[in-house]
Amino acid sequence: MKRFFRSLLAKYMLIIIAALLFIQVAYFIVVILITGISHNLETDYTVEETKYTTIEENWHDEASQLQDVSAASITQFFKDWKADYPDAAMFWVDGDGKLREQLAVDENLPTQWTPSYTAKFIKARYDNNPFTVIAFVGGEDESNGFIVFEIPREVLLTPSQKTFNQYGMVFVIGIAVLVLLFIVISFLFFRSIRKRLLQLQDAMEIRDVDSLPVQIQVRKQDEIGQLEQTFNQMVQELKTSKEREQEEEGLRRELIANLSHDLRTPLTKINAQTFKLAKKELPLDVQQSVQTLTASVQNMDGLIENLMSYTLLMASKYKLERKEMDIIRFTRRYIASWYPAFEKAGFQFEVDMHPFDHQWFVDPNWMHRIYDNLLQNVLRHAANGKYVKMCTQSTDSYDAIVIMDKGNGMNEDSDHKGAGIGLSIVDKMVKGLELEWKIDSSADGTTIKIINCY
Amino acid sequence: MVRILYIEDEKEIGSWVSEDLTDRGYEVIWLQSGAQLETHLSNIDIAILDIMLPGLDGFSIGKRLKKKLDDLPVLMLSARSAVEDKIEGLSFADDYLTKPFHPDELAARVEVLLRRFQKEEAALTIGHLRIYPQSMLIINANTAEEITLTGKQFYLFQFFIRHLNQILTKEQLYEGVWGEPYLEGDKTLMVHIRFLREKLEQNPATPTIIETIRGIGYRVKQ
Repeated sequence: MKRFFRSLLAKYMLIIIAALLFIQVAYFIVVILITGISHNLETDYTVEETKYTTIEENWHDEASQLQDVSAASITQFFKDWKADYPDAAMFWVDGDGKLREQLAVDENLPTQWTPSYTAKFIKARYDNNPFTVIAFVGGEDESNGFIVFEIPREVLLTPSQKTFNQYGMVFVIGIAVLVLLFIVISFLFFRSIRKRLLQLQDAMEIRDVDSLPVQIQVRKQDEIGQLEQTFNQMVQELKTSKEREQEEEGLRRELIANLSHDLRTPLTKINAQTFKLAKKELPLDVQQSVQTLTASVQNMDGLIENLMSYTLLMASKYKLERKEMDIIRFTRRYIASWYPAFEKAGFQFEVDMHPFDHQWFVDPNWMHRIYDNLLQNVLRHAANGKYVKMCTQSTDSYDAIVIMDKGNGMNEDSDHKGAGIGLSIVDKMVKGLELEWKIDSSADGTTIKIINCY
Repeated sequence: MVRILYIEDEKEIGSWVSEDLTDRGYEVIWLQSGAQLETHLSNIDIAILDIMLPGLDGFSIGKRLKKKLDDLPVLMLSARSAVEDKIEGLSFADDYLTKPFHPDELAARVEVLLRRFQKEEAALTIGHLRIYPQSMLIINANTAEEITLTGKQFYLFQFFIRHLNQILTKEQLYEGVWGEPYLEGDKTLMVHIRFLREKLEQNPATPTIIETIRGIGYRVKQ
């Protein structure tokens, strides 16, 4: 339950309920205000007095009951009415159409009333403002003329009507303000949600040094807060899993490094013994055996290296750090380190490298390994050609490093032929560096191209 | 005599390498662990260290040695061949050789290091030249006259002597001697090589001291 009250849903429900209650409350307030104000409004009239029909009937009645028609009696009559209706105006036009008495009349009335003016007057006042009642004086005898009673209609309005006329605008504005208030509160409510969601999105995009997202500080316990908590939990799980993975990777590396070490140490011992033997004067056949032994040790060393690399590569655990590099410069330097080995084996090593327009985006250790495996193959399997060439090839769409030999080709049996693990590593690594490669092998030699396409 | 400190726990390998290096004219102090290291530090010229050792491992020993004697060349000789190990080794050591190895290669690397650190007293004989690497005194053995090199020629030849038997690319030579990045097509190096050959070679048209390795660079071979 506590959780529910912290939620955004609860907050929004609160806003809606408050808004609905406000309308109800506002309605009551309006009613109370109107009643209150109308009670307090100062007025000279009773409710009964403000009724049009009452005024009309009374005016007719009392006018017809006037017996003694004289200026004095009419004036008295007018004064009596004036006492009841202080806002009213009255005048008397006698039987000859002459304006005789008037009380509180503002407008200019003609002194002599012609029938046409009278008709015009009646027409003008009919159902109009001021409220006008015309009655013949002293019953149905028109000879005494008529008396006119006029009073502004505003005076006769009911208190509530007056209140509405006076304060109506205030109420309308008040309600508009309330509606506006509701809109503003809703807007602020949703804006704050939106802002927090955007902040959350930004925070989710931040990456730590380990390229994992960073945990978010949870400030509120509502739905977004819960989302943040879940996100943090996820980050934590990712971190744990990455740590576990790194630990496993470390163990695997360590295992491979140790295995490689443990395999190489006895090999070195065999090597030591063979070199010791080789120094002695031995019969020819034993000398040959010693040579074979030395070659086998070398071969096995290469195989162990390849096997370890292959295992790491297959598990995608071989360290890869690609960078922009001048491949020509790198290759030339690399050839410088291999040149003596080929020279010793009686090879002719031709080098023809021309600068490329583009840098290669590769890992030097990987390139080293690719070249090592390829040149080792030349040295081992193409020794009878006694020739190796490394050169460059550039076209509009690619640059390539070419390694050529004049051996018997790859289909030919070689003493050192293995399971092809060396070339499998080259293949994996070339692809890992997003390069391509092509082997062209015939009985006249092998050409290998390492291609960087643009 | 050059004294080599060699730490190796495997007896067969240790005795073989010690014997081989002794045969090549070096004095070898072979230890089976880094425990009694301190007593031998005063008079050694180069250290060869295995990595997997009882007690302190080769990396730690190497780092300690380098800290105490920064002009002592250190060569790591290990059956650990992972890139990470090599990188860690080369972060302080001067060379890293993996087992199994050819004794000639080990000897060659030792020589290179000694030359680089100028620990070798003996004169070198290259063709008709006798060269004293420490003082860079060059004598023409045929005429017994001293050849004097000036300015960049001196530094260029010294660079060759320090990297004896190694093929050096144009970039390596230019950047090593001039200390500036090499620009493809720059003729400065070629001009200096020509001057150098005119002074050193018996017949500059067919050079024997400074060999041209076509497409790669140059080499001075003993």
